[in-house]
Amino acid sequence: MNRKLVSLIKTDLNITFGLSSLAYNIRKGKRIVPMAIIALAVLSLFPSYIFVVRALGSFYDAFRQIGQQSFFLHVGFMSAQLIVLVFGFMYVMSKYYFSNDLPHLVPLPIKPSHIIGSKFVSLMVSEYLTSLPIILPFIIIYGTRGNEGITYWLISILAVITLPLLPLVISSILIMIFMKYTNIKGKKDLIRTISAVVFIALIIFVQLKLNQWTTQSIIDSEDFMFNLARDANLLLTSAGIMYPPAMWGALALSKGFSVQGVFNLFLFIGSGLVGFALMMILAEKIFFDGLIGNIEVSASKGRGKKLDSSSVLKTGNPIITMAKKEILMIIKTPVYLMNSVGGVVILPILLVISMVTGGESYEPMKEMILQSREILILGSIGAIGSFGVLNALGATTFSREGTNMWIQRTLPIDPRVQVIGRTLPSVALQVVGGVLLIGGIFFIVPLKIFEIIIILVLGITASVPLTMIGMTIDIIRPMLEWTNPQQAMKQNLNVLISMAIGTLFMVGAAFLGYLLLPDYGLFVVLGLFVIIIVLSTVFIYKLLVNLVKTKFMDME
Amino acid sequence: MLKIEGLSKSYNKGEIKAVDNISLEVKKGEIFGFLGPNGAGKTTTIKMIVGLLKPDEGEVVLDGINVWDEPMKAKERISYVPDNPEIYDRLSGVEYLNFIGDMYGIRTEVRIKKIDYYSEIFKINDSLGDIISSYSHGMKQKLVLTAALMTDPDLFILDEPMVGLDPKSSFNLKEIMREMCDEGKSVFFSTHVMEVAEKLCDRIAIINNGKIIAMGSMEELRRSAKEKESLENIFLELTDNE
Repeated sequence: MNRKLVSLIKTDLNITFGLSSLAYNIRKGKRIVPMAIIALAVLSLFPSYIFVVRALGSFYDAFRQIGQQSFFLHVGFMSAQLIVLVFGFMYVMSKYYFSNDLPHLVPLPIKPSHIIGSKFVSLMVSEYLTSLPIILPFIIIYGTRGNEGITYWLISILAVITLPLLPLVISSILIMIFMKYTNIKGKKDLIRTISAVVFIALIIFVQLKLNQWTTQSIIDSEDFMFNLARDANLLLTSAGIMYPPAMWGALALSKGFSVQGVFNLFLFIGSGLVGFALMMILAEKIFFDGLIGNIEVSASKGRGKKLDSSSVLKTGNPIITMAKKEILMIIKTPVYLMNSVGGVVILPILLVISMVTGGESYEPMKEMILQSREILILGSIGAIGSFGVLNALGATTFSREGTNMWIQRTLPIDPRVQVIGRTLPSVALQVVGGVLLIGGIFFIVPLKIFEIIIILVLGITASVPLTMIGMTIDIIRPMLEWTNPQQAMKQNLNVLISMAIGTLFMVGAAFLGYLLLPDYGLFVVLGLFVIIIVLSTVFIYKLLVNLVKTKFMDME
Repeated sequence: MLKIEGLSKSYNKGEIKAVDNISLEVKKGEIFGFLGPNGAGKTTTIKMIVGLLKPDEGEVVLDGINVWDEPMKAKERISYVPDNPEIYDRLSGVEYLNFIGDMYGIRTEVRIKKIDYYSEIFKINDSLGDIISSYSHGMKQKLVLTAALMTDPDLFILDEPMVGLDPKSSFNLKEIMREMCDEGKSVFFSTHVMEVAEKLCDRIAIINNGKIIAMGSMEELRRSAKEKESLENIFLELTDNE
């Protein structure tokens, strides 16, 4: 391989995963305690993971009973590749177009395809962290329960290694084309963010619609039961039309070392390699077109219009100013906007899409919801509250400062201003998410005005302590050294940790509600929730103010 | 105005003494230059004064206020300009200035007057509406300077302020520093440019390997050195001997 490319790959892997700084910290005995805490946090997720894997075992048994176990593998490949694809869009966008190293790389005598190639390798490694936990249980369950031979295991190694290749190639190609044609002067970031959200919503819509059609067409078929008995791959091949590569992967494994198996393995790996080659050719042709506008130092050479200072320079309340600054930074950084708004908006959108496209299949769900309005109200409050951690704004608020943290630490900013000012943007987002969710619920069942008020007020206030939990984690271990805003948000473990703690908090509240609801009714449970929310907000707020005060002094 | 006593900071569990028991005093109305070769401990000292790095030992006192015990009170009176102007790239110049203004609680009229004045001097008034990511390094530096000066600090601390500035702005900054001191305020800055220190500073401290090896006015430094012609010679002689 080209030496330049090898060097680029090595450097990019080093930067992306902070290998040198990790080695330095270990050598110097620094950050061992935080690293141990992270390791413990990751390990604590294992019991729930084992639980999911066990549930998958029964899923396999169900397919085996109808002789369609190959479909089980297909579900695994499909889920893993789909998730790699969806994450791929966001990773590719920030890695190829918003990394801080790009302004240094572009002037060097390096081919565009080499830059993309090196970044692609880092992304592949990142995507293994996503794909392996999903695909491995499927492969292991299928292999062990079906007593598969050595060929199965050998092929599965190949399949697992190449699994993220094609979805990542697809997202790379689509993003490169997308960035080339949205490289419009002016409101570039806004255009890109809106189009990206529409794009993801469209993909989900198409996916759900296809899913509905194929399921319907298989079941509607007059000879369904007969065909099912006759063809062990019926479910697989019918569903495989949606996304053939997942079918190729599943067939490669289930058919083993037969003509069909080898052929499908060839298709599975070959399609990825051909796609990769195509991506490299495309990178040569269009990568810089989308990139240059992105990193070019645009207009400001002092030729701008002179501002009327009395109209633009205005005094504001420090809390509002802090919140405004946060909101501006989020809106103007597409990666932040997509990740935060995405987390909040996707749920209502999915609800609406599934209701619109789902047709009769969602009738039982509607019935269930209609039967228990109390659960609907409590569930909606929980959903809006959960946006407080899902939007990731609290858990990354200090990390997002990155190298600008010196500004916050040298200005005379009261810790209370820091805490309240940084909580408000998250709350504002919950208002948007809450309204959208209420809109989504209207597709299932109309709500009364007082129900809407209860859901919105309690949901939004419940999100305050949850946002603050994230902020507490983030001030304890802020991730300030990043080269790409994506790292501050998507690759920030604080988000995961705050989600785990937030889930515990919500599960606790939900459990209380579950215990009290049958005997005491909705309003007692709501009253209890208000008490929990107020007490936890006061407690976490005080803790957070003290932490900001001390950590701002102790940080190095 | 500023009193530093027994200030120390080490890294790597005490292996490297970045700043080793330094003491100095910056008087009211004084421009104090802080000189030293790369890695001597200049930035570490400055960071300990402005609250970015907690000292292992010693104290920093500003007009009787211990900077680390009462950080809010101290920060209200200090403005800091770092060597590398890393600021919010996605905000416009005006948005950044308004942010800083609100955090210092600067009234609108004062804010308008100060920003109009300093942005005119640094010739960035036509760019204030632009997003900061479109600024050059020098323009960012000028924006940070404008923001810092807008707060009318009692103590103005600058880390290598002349790096990245064009000659005209550099000259203007020196003038501003002098004016500030005439008004009874103090300036503390680090630099590599000997000429600047020689011509501008009332007193100078030379730091090497974390220790102050010489301190005083130009005259006092000259008296204690063999090579008396210029500050550059004095500096080279002192730092080479270490």
